[in-house]
Amino acid sequence: MMLGLASMTAREIRAGLLAGEFSAIEIAREALERVEREDVRVRAFLEVSKKLALEAAARIDAAVAAGRILELGPLAGVPVAFKDNMNLVGTHTTCASKMLDGYASPYTATCVQRCLDAGCIPLGKLNMDEFAFGSSTESSAFGPTRNPWDLDRVPGGSSGGSAAAVAAGLSPLALGSDTGGSIRQPGSFCGVVAVKPTYGAVSRYGVVAFGSSLDQVGPLARTVEDAALALNVLAGHDERDCMSQDRRVDFTANLGEGVAGMRIGLVRSFMSAEGLSSEVRAKVEEAAAKLEAAGAKLEEVELPHVKAAMSAYYVLGPCEAYSNLSRFDAVRYGHRTPGCESLAEQYEASRAEGFGPEARRRIMLGCYLLSSGVYDRYYYRAQQIRTLITRDYAEAFGKVDCILAPVAPTTAFGIGEIGDPTEMYLADMFTTSINIAGNGGMSMPVGLGCESGLPVGVQLIAPAFRDENMLRVAAALEREYGAALVAPGFADERAGE
Amino acid sequence: MGPHLTEDDVRGIAEVARIGLTEDELARMTVDLNAIVGSLAGIFEYDLEGVSPTFHPIGGLVNVMREDAETPSFAQRQALSGAPHEQEGFFAVPSILGEDGDR
Repeated sequence: MMLGLASMTAREIRAGLLAGEFSAIEIAREALERVEREDVRVRAFLEVSKKLALEAAARIDAAVAAGRILELGPLAGVPVAFKDNMNLVGTHTTCASKMLDGYASPYTATCVQRCLDAGCIPLGKLNMDEFAFGSSTESSAFGPTRNPWDLDRVPGGSSGGSAAAVAAGLSPLALGSDTGGSIRQPGSFCGVVAVKPTYGAVSRYGVVAFGSSLDQVGPLARTVEDAALALNVLAGHDERDCMSQDRRVDFTANLGEGVAGMRIGLVRSFMSAEGLSSEVRAKVEEAAAKLEAAGAKLEEVELPHVKAAMSAYYVLGPCEAYSNLSRFDAVRYGHRTPGCESLAEQYEASRAEGFGPEARRRIMLGCYLLSSGVYDRYYYRAQQIRTLITRDYAEAFGKVDCILAPVAPTTAFGIGEIGDPTEMYLADMFTTSINIAGNGGMSMPVGLGCESGLPVGVQLIAPAFRDENMLRVAAALEREYGAALVAPGFADERAGE
Repeated sequence: MGPHLTEDDVRGIAEVARIGLTEDELARMTVDLNAIVGSLAGIFEYDLEGVSPTFHPIGGLVNVMREDAETPSFAQRQALSGAPHEQEGFFAVPSILGEDGDR
């Protein structure tokens, strides 16, 4: 019997399991079969963790059989897949890089462990831009992932595998990481709910570091409620990530409250930005009108310094990446070029071979920007800019409860369409300032663009540690637009239909 | 405005960053880095006199201490499990002393 998992939400899967409509092993088998059958078109997965999935399912079924229903966690029986920069014992963690090809996870990341403890069925590891450097998933050393809505287009990035897996109905939930837009932009391109919580809300322990003052882990799902359920599982302090904070709330609590009386901000400089496509602008305006009709009060807010965010981000990100990626020394783990005569030669050859072009560029850029004399001109100034941008957001959130903005300037572009790195960086123009300030931000699907016919997401931005604000607005938009759809060509029929 | 970096600068950076580049790659990298650095001009648009820097988004958080307690950690076997080359329970590397090695 087919369960019709593709179109089911995480909440529905768990409810069906608890009601005895199906078993966890049936869920796991169908999910694994779907991935095997459908992912040849999308290539979202780098590794399928079949054994782990079946073992987890067997544990859940044993608990159900023993009547220990109350012990089942909030994600009991829910398939979840993980971006391949997250360690999970029993899988490899490659960051889609030749540098880590074959690297076996020696421990499990806290965010992954929390999903396992909540009873999820781990489906496997998802493709990404190499070391999360990119906006298209084309820089993966193992080949690009394709956008389920149009297989000739990119899914966005760097969490492109995560967004594509959810959009193709291969997994109701996936985890991604976001340093400058890497959860939200693929969320917009693939038409799924994609949440970057406030910096510090979720532990990064066991997630391969890119920019440590910017990185944050978050969920991708097809409904706001599923994303909120996942956040409930993920959020909280972890001693092993010293930046993680204990600021948990029930993220599902106010989803039904509506937006009446909420103050929602629009950023004039975003809406008039050069490069913003008319179809994306139209969608943001349409979403604003719907929220206003639902009782929200729209206000214009100014973020006078966000113009400098892109520049500051492309200073801070590479500097931190340069520092973080110096750990790849070809000695303790990672790719090693054989036959080198000296240690220096071995470092240089192994890192040149192991890192792809974008990783090499970012490392070199960071190394330069941190060098003596250059540091003060760029890195230090970028940190001063961070002060101003943080202040801008704090002032804006004195006036509004949530900000509505574009996620990406366009809908998904074609595979191979953007070759120039600085042009690719523009994909992040509306997302990086949020990482710099640390606020929560998410992409909420609002249907298809009128020109491209491809998914468009609007960005909702919340005050620091008030991520429930943006989820509440997202839930209101979901009621207007309907829940995100599985991409055409990937939906399966419900059992019995 | 002239280029920010010359090929010689980039050669020096590659050495510090420990990334071996061929002459062709060096030329390409020089073009790319100049284009990227050129695109960073936005951070010079504001007067930053007297603005203090912010190094991370959690305001006021300075040092985070935990109790200095023993906890289980990797066994030697696990720690070595990802090593490209190990020898007698150690990470093995090419000789680091002198032209002719250390023995």
